[in-house]
Amino acid sequence: MLVLAGIIVVHITSIILLLVAAIDNAWWITDSVSTDLWGRWELTNSVWHYTNLKNYPEEYLQTVQATSVLACIFAILALFVFVAQLFTLPKGQRFTFTGILQLIACLCIMIAASIYTAELHADDTVGGYGHSYVLAWISFVLTFVLAVTYLVLRKKSE
Amino acid sequence: MRVPEQSQAIVIYTGWERHALLGSDIRLSCSFFSWRWTSEDVTFSWTYRPDGSRDSISVFHYTGGMAYVDNKGPFRDRLEFVGNPARRDGSILLKNLDFSDNGTFTCDAKNPPDIVGRPSSVRLLVFEKVPIQAGVITGSIIGAVLGLLVLIVVIYYLMRFLVARRVFSLSVSKHGKKKKEGSQQRQGPVPPADPSKPVRRMAAGARSNQQQRTVVRKTEGVGGGGEEGPGRVLMTIELELTRKNGEKGPGGEGGMGRSAAPGFLSRLANQLTFK
Repeated sequence: MLVLAGIIVVHITSIILLLVAAIDNAWWITDSVSTDLWGRWELTNSVWHYTNLKNYPEEYLQTVQATSVLACIFAILALFVFVAQLFTLPKGQRFTFTGILQLIACLCIMIAASIYTAELHADDTVGGYGHSYVLAWISFVLTFVLAVTYLVLRKKSE
Repeated sequence: MRVPEQSQAIVIYTGWERHALLGSDIRLSCSFFSWRWTSEDVTFSWTYRPDGSRDSISVFHYTGGMAYVDNKGPFRDRLEFVGNPARRDGSILLKNLDFSDNGTFTCDAKNPPDIVGRPSSVRLLVFEKVPIQAGVITGSIIGAVLGLLVLIVVIYYLMRFLVARRVFSLSVSKHGKKKKEGSQQRQGPVPPADPSKPVRRMAAGARSNQQQRTVVRKTEGVGGGGEEGPGRVLMTIELELTRKNGEKGPGGEGGMGRSAAPGFLSRLANQLTFK
């Protein structure tokens, strides 16, 4: 019972972290700016303004956007497939499909975070990485652990 | 004395936004719809408002059959009239665009007595290189990966179906007129006529041995003679399956919990193991 509850809780947590990392515009923050992946929040005269992203390498930015969205999609899909496989998998078999989907989600968020680290804000001296960036890497670890778990877990066979 | 005719509304059409490369030419089209015939006094006028400015200047005017282009403003020697007023076309051609030409162009046309109308504006954007529309790469990556996933899943199930079918047709041709049990895809290969040798080797994705054995046995019992039509045998197998699952028949859910009356969740949870 504990195993099932634990796995589902960790999976839902990873989905939530992925969603926050993908949606919240806080990959790079300075004192007055909170930016990426979709727009830029600027604090001028103690009012936050939302503007478009300018002067970014377009291909890299859009790749990061696409892979972070894909990571969310695959993680959510993996949850549904896990529940479905709980009921339909023959005894003694492993949850391979779920594991593979979760592994793809892990790969996608790793690609997103890596490209972001390498190509965007590489030369900026002011500012640092925001909470979305940190959550992206944390969810990478979580999804990796979950993927390995699913690939090892078996349904009992008597 | 001539009574002035009633004026009706005139509708003016231009584009919404135009993109152009630095140094190229662009044609800004303007046309109108009016219930009346095109009169001889039809007029077209274009005004230009630069981006970030609130004042607009007039750059083109056509009236009385004559076109007057800008000869003092930002477009001198760069503006040309390429429209056909008789066909209600008041388009202008801008040559050799520069970044300072970014702005809004407004076309106003009048077709007396139809003068009541709203001028229409087109926004001009000059680029150094034509940009990829926002989100095209994002969307195409997402779409391609998801499409690939769907394709892989479909191919996987198709292969399973084809392999099972091929095994079935092979066994049928080998066993000829013998009873054709287990002929559904998920049942795996056709078991031999001798029920004392349960089938061990399964096709991909078949159920566990116990289930297969059960089905074979039961079908043999019901089948009787050897000349059953395949339709009847299939129906029998389905019935056996559903009945077996409903009553939790022999060798069914072996993973049931140890407690006397297990809840649904605990039953589910006890099915997971790492060994």
